[in-house]
Amino acid sequence: MPTKTISVRIDGELVAAHEGQTILEAARENGKQIPTLCYLKGLSTVGACRVCLVELSGTDRLLPACTTPIQEGMSIRTNSEKLTRYRKMAVELLLVERNHICSVCVSNSHCELQSLAQSLGITHVSYSYNNPRLPVDMTHPRFVLDHNRCILCTRCVRVCAELEGANVWEVASRGIYSRIVSDLREDWGHAKNCTGCGKCVQACPTGALAEKGYAVHEMVKQSDAVTRLASQRALGGNGAR
Amino acid sequence: MQSAAAEVLDAHERVLIDQAIARHESRPGALLGILEAVQSANAHKFLSMESLRYIATETGIAPARVYSAATFFALFNLLPQGDNVICVCRGTACHTRGSRDLLAKLCLDLGLRDRDLSETGDADQVSLTTADRKFTIRTVACFGQCALAPVVEVNHHILSHVNERTLQREVKALAHGRK
Repeated sequence: MPTKTISVRIDGELVAAHEGQTILEAARENGKQIPTLCYLKGLSTVGACRVCLVELSGTDRLLPACTTPIQEGMSIRTNSEKLTRYRKMAVELLLVERNHICSVCVSNSHCELQSLAQSLGITHVSYSYNNPRLPVDMTHPRFVLDHNRCILCTRCVRVCAELEGANVWEVASRGIYSRIVSDLREDWGHAKNCTGCGKCVQACPTGALAEKGYAVHEMVKQSDAVTRLASQRALGGNGAR
Repeated sequence: MQSAAAEVLDAHERVLIDQAIARHESRPGALLGILEAVQSANAHKFLSMESLRYIATETGIAPARVYSAATFFALFNLLPQGDNVICVCRGTACHTRGSRDLLAKLCLDLGLRDRDLSETGDADQVSLTTADRKFTIRTVACFGQCALAPVVEVNHHILSHVNERTLQREVKALAHGRK
């Protein structure tokens, strides 16, 4: 592995990072907390949720930590008033876009969006709710897709394409009409490519994808199992070559 | 959308799709070219669910990816289009010169329900087709002809400084010309 060590400053502290790492990876390795939603270790990065924004001295622009490669001599701030303001804004916009009603959600209290909102101190939203009328897909024998709780992080899209190789999920349409769709917008139960492996359900940060048979509060996701599988896959892949 | 999915692809259409795929073979980003060729070869200028499914199986691209591309670009239609396409500009300049009223009047004249319009609201994309498939009404964000506002495009010809009467005359001419 090509691991040239470089030194960077994170929150004023001088730390060592490896070349090729992203800011997020380097920060997490050194015990710095940067919130994320669309990032899931083991999957490719898209930089869609904008909550991992960090400040880099020398530039006014905020950079997404999950997609920005770390470079020698970078000085990064992972926490500031400005960053909190922007992160709050990003999460509030996610909350107003769809009908996130925690009290009736299977993932209540096990939800990444909910816990992020709590840790950012979001008690109310400053924008008006969009209140879209969205369907719930119950056609799959084991799983449920509730568009109301989807934040379009595309973790399901990536886990299905990269780990399962089934390519069932994709984002269709654009703007506020964007939806997660399976195959040609078929009901999930009729999507021919779906193997029913459930990786998308475990990767989903909210209650949008859930297993049937769980009541409010009961659906605990195991996204670390996805990460574990990805790292095993990566090791196996290197060994074979 | 249900009826489109139930349609079975005929041999002629399948040949057209095969040709389109062959033309774009082994080129990166071939999907867009294929979709465009298939749509323009279609009599009603749209991509049926069956043709999308056929494209996905023949090219080996995941159906979800094909559907995603077809819905992302406003260029692609998933519903049959009318013989005449009337495109009303909803850009800022045209809006201030009354393009919203033009659009509403046009819908009224063609018997497209108000509800159809209000449901899509001020969406950046409206596409409504009359039941007899003679007219399709679309909107566009800007034609870049703001000095001529309000602008309406009728079958790829730009009409400038349109008012309700000129638009009505144009629609009437098209309706009679077809008979």
